[in-house]
Amino acid sequence: MRRLIAGEFQKLFATRLWLWLLLGSMAITALYASLQIAFSDDPDTWTLPLSTADGQQTLFAAAASAASPLVAVLAAIGITGEYRHRTATTTFLATPHRDRVIAAKLITYGLTGIGYALACTAVVTAIAVPWLSAKNVDLSLAGNGLPATMAGGIAAVALYALIGVGLGALLREQVATVVGLLIYLFVIEAILTNIRALDAWTRYLPGPADNALTGITLTNQDYLRPWQGGLILTTYCVAIAAAGTYLANRRDVA
Amino acid sequence: MTDQDGRIVVSGLTKTFGTVKAVDGLTFTVQPGSITGFLGPNGAGKTTTLRMLLGLVRPDAGTATIGGRAYTDLPAPGDRVGAVLEATAFHPARTGRAHLRIYCTINGYPRTRADEVLELVGLAGAGRRAVRGYSLGMRQRLALATALLGDPKVLVLDEPANGLDPEGIAWMRRLLRDLAAQGRTVLVSSHVLSEVQQLVDHVVIINRGRCVRQGPLTALSDLHGPIVSVRTPDPGRLHAALIRTGIDEGRITRTGDQLRVTGIQADDVGQLAFIEQVPVLWLAAEQSDLEQVFFALTTDNSRQPALTATAGA
Repeated sequence: MRRLIAGEFQKLFATRLWLWLLLGSMAITALYASLQIAFSDDPDTWTLPLSTADGQQTLFAAAASAASPLVAVLAAIGITGEYRHRTATTTFLATPHRDRVIAAKLITYGLTGIGYALACTAVVTAIAVPWLSAKNVDLSLAGNGLPATMAGGIAAVALYALIGVGLGALLREQVATVVGLLIYLFVIEAILTNIRALDAWTRYLPGPADNALTGITLTNQDYLRPWQGGLILTTYCVAIAAAGTYLANRRDVA
Repeated sequence: MTDQDGRIVVSGLTKTFGTVKAVDGLTFTVQPGSITGFLGPNGAGKTTTLRMLLGLVRPDAGTATIGGRAYTDLPAPGDRVGAVLEATAFHPARTGRAHLRIYCTINGYPRTRADEVLELVGLAGAGRRAVRGYSLGMRQRLALATALLGDPKVLVLDEPANGLDPEGIAWMRRLLRDLAAQGRTVLVSSHVLSEVQQLVDHVVIINRGRCVRQGPLTALSDLHGPIVSVRTPDPGRLHAALIRTGIDEGRITRTGDQLRVTGIQADDVGQLAFIEQVPVLWLAAEQSDLEQVFFALTTDNSRQPALTATAGA
């Protein structure tokens, strides 16, 4: 398994996609964090005051918000690319037990997700610490529930990576997987979570569960507790990855 | 390693896609130390059979084993079996070397093995270029390099000559000859017999998912027997003489003053003409046309009893 994972990392690093998506995640994180800080003094602001624990947690959750979708896309491209470029044949010839291949990809992209989350958290920290200090806002990285937000963010990004791998194994078609993933995250979920009357149900969707895990309180939606959010997100990952693995094992590679 | 390790045994293999029976109770054996041509027209079921042999496609019935085990049950399959199924199956942005190194890592070979096989297939100069810039012939070589990474005892190649220029085909022939001479099992599929005629020792010919003939290539030419053409001013008399010696009417064709006879040696025709005192203007033993035999075996006329009787021989 160690060799398979090393091989998957080699595939990942053989092209530059990981780097562009990492830089993209970091740029979005920087933009998102900067906007929150820049407009935090505005009385009509859309963010919570940054002196509060909720405000600071939401600020640091920007890392996970930015990295999650891009990591899911990276993971989805990583697995569907095997089918698109027909390298699945060579991959499954080298490793006929395809569940091992999927497992290696889950681990590889999960670790990659952790790397992305760490880099994006570093970006938020690099922006927030000097800027808030200049604004005379007290910020302690060890307080206000920030360690939990950062840990939750890292877990959330890793879990999104697993969703990307699982979905890719399930659908195999690269464009369908990536476009479907993005449409779900940015259109379908955005619409559903905006319907107040559905809050009791929509909080079980991956996005709101992700927000619960990372401690975002940006909207008025009533989120689950962080551990519940984490559990829900993990359940999605396991279900999708299990279905993807089951099908990958059974389907013909023609 | 015993020879047993390299034997490929396909038994009763069957696969249906929708309503199409791609492979229909196919049975054949491939022996180590020789090159076997796996032949059949397009759509005969060659690729599906090879994919079932290699654990990529799940058979509806039957078994396919390499050295007595299913491919998916082989420990470290890359060390035992090398396969080329698709010459274009590469990530376009990876270099040939990066591609090979990935499989070195996965199979636990030293990284230097990638450069060795690049050298072996004549791609040493192109290893650091992205595959998207490779010609089809170069991709075939890279696919072969991938198959050779683990120095396998068994090679399974699906249409490996596709995209190679004549020089490349000659190179591949030499390479496969060398590999077979080392005791390896080489199974090469093709839809053109002439492409592999000079390469293979044995043939397995399939049509519509069934084996129509299996055996040494030389036996294939014996199917029609030798062919003799003779020109004479008196073809009628020679024709009658041939019939008297027991040659079947159907084996003689007459075109003007020329007779074409199958299943007889040129010497015998010459002797006969001398005895019958028929002047011979010209006498020639024809090269048996294997392509024609192949064509006869793989068109629907092949259901003739005379030919199907030899199936599975």
